[in-house]
Amino acid sequence: MTAIPAPVGRPAKPVRWARLLAALIVLLVVLAAFWHVDIEWSDLWAAPKKLWRVLRLMFGPPDWSQLPQALSATMLSVAMAWFGTLIGIVVSFPLSLFATRGLTPGPVRWPIRGVFAVLRAVPEVVIAVLMLSVTGLTAFTGALAIAIGSIGTLGKWGYETFEAVDRGPLEATGAAGASRMQVMRWGVWPSARPDVFAFWLYRFEISVRASAILGLIGAGGIGKMLVDNIQFRVWDVVGVLMIVVVVVTMIIDQISGTIRNRIIAGRWQLPIVTAVSRRRAARRLREHAAAAAEKGIL
Amino acid sequence: MSAAVSMSKPTEHPPPAQQRPVRPRTWWKAAAVLVVVAAVTVWSAIAVEVDFGALFRNAGNASRTIGQLLQPDYSYFPETVRPLLETLETAVISTAVAAVLSLPISFLASRATDPSTPLLVAVRFVMNVIRSIPDLLYASLFVTAVATGALSGILALVLFNIGILVKLVSEALDGLDRGGQEAALAAGSGWIKADRSAMLPEISPIYISQTIYVLELNIRASTVIGLVGAGGLGMLIDKVRTFYQYHYLSLVILEILVLVVVLEFVSSYARRKLVR
Repeated sequence: MTAIPAPVGRPAKPVRWARLLAALIVLLVVLAAFWHVDIEWSDLWAAPKKLWRVLRLMFGPPDWSQLPQALSATMLSVAMAWFGTLIGIVVSFPLSLFATRGLTPGPVRWPIRGVFAVLRAVPEVVIAVLMLSVTGLTAFTGALAIAIGSIGTLGKWGYETFEAVDRGPLEATGAAGASRMQVMRWGVWPSARPDVFAFWLYRFEISVRASAILGLIGAGGIGKMLVDNIQFRVWDVVGVLMIVVVVVTMIIDQISGTIRNRIIAGRWQLPIVTAVSRRRAARRLREHAAAAAEKGIL
Repeated sequence: MSAAVSMSKPTEHPPPAQQRPVRPRTWWKAAAVLVVVAAVTVWSAIAVEVDFGALFRNAGNASRTIGQLLQPDYSYFPETVRPLLETLETAVISTAVAAVLSLPISFLASRATDPSTPLLVAVRFVMNVIRSIPDLLYASLFVTAVATGALSGILALVLFNIGILVKLVSEALDGLDRGGQEAALAAGSGWIKADRSAMLPEISPIYISQTIYVLELNIRASTVIGLVGAGGLGMLIDKVRTFYQYHYLSLVILEILVLVVVLEFVSSYARRKLVR
């Protein structure tokens, strides 16, 4: 190779037609969407001014007298998220065992996986809309909607985790004469446990966001308070509520992230620090993000 | 060790206490965790006023509703075409806008490409705040403050997407091999040039794949943001549910299901091709 004289200048870049075509199609689709969508573009130019006005009303200054009420509404939302996630865990755990390859035959496995897939595809809000017709507008309805929504994700993450464990202990327990349940208990569960606990917590974080959304359609909690105040344009209260939502979500994410980190990495570490510091953290977070892709909430 | 001992005398049980190391005692930790979890659960159950009885009391009501839901009225389909298109357009436009905006922000939000710590911290903080507000909340704000319809939906989704995309892409940047960038810096280029020539080509497959993922999220999100008046299928859901037209509602939900599943399929195919 060294005998070949160095070429003058760079070799020409190969033209990648398939890629070019794909880019062109994407561009056309985007342009078509812009062209066809039913929007008064003049609204867009007016938007910054209007938004600025609303922001000034919201935060200049916010109405702190509503803070206690806002906090108790938030607590209700968090309770909804916790209880819903817990029911989701209780229901999805045995189901995900039955959906694990190697433990159950296909005819048992596939229907369960199908149910998980359907539950993942329906947005929580739609589930809640359906539930409202049965149990009415209560926080319990919201919790149930979250429970049903989380069964899909938790179930899928569950069987994926169980299938991804190291086969060694599994074979060993099997060879020692364990029954299927015993294989599960001693061959699979010990290695799957940290991941399972971690994604339970992660799902709780998602549920906290979902519970705020469910409030928006009337299921109680901070979301309901928000939508009421937005509708009546009580902007200074909305400002307080926004601050509360942001702060509480961030605090819960930090706590939950710290615990998840402790479960998986085995040491206490603030997630912010880890994220700034290194590669492994980035990779792990990416994996979680990929898992979140299943449900569509981050 | 213990394996070797028991191999040599398979019939005798070796006294286990001397063979195995003593297990660390962790039961009290587990118990403490359990107590905390149980306490939070009891508190949450009281707060949401758990009433499983209501499910059975309303069972008659439910079965009627479910009966109607199981018979979607396909003749309603023509009415849903416009909202369906609007949902798709909202998703596509907001993905495109967010993709363009979030690329430079991602470079500012990664330790690997942004040498200035104060700027990094500031950008990340703003992004954290943006991310912690749910999309429907943005939508309802914009609907009230700007205008009803697709525009508010697009604005809401753009904000929501920037939060996600910047997080995913900047974290991918953190994990990249920085050799090329170092070489560029050593050869005398500035940070912007080094990032563009060395980091951008490395990140682009991930960037594109995450953009497709965000499009997928948007399809899901844009079906529901209409519930607060931001256009698309959600507005239709709101309309038919206030009139208790469950035959129509189930058709709309069916459409959402098909849309989401098809898109998930396409997106996972495209992403697989990209990563390969």
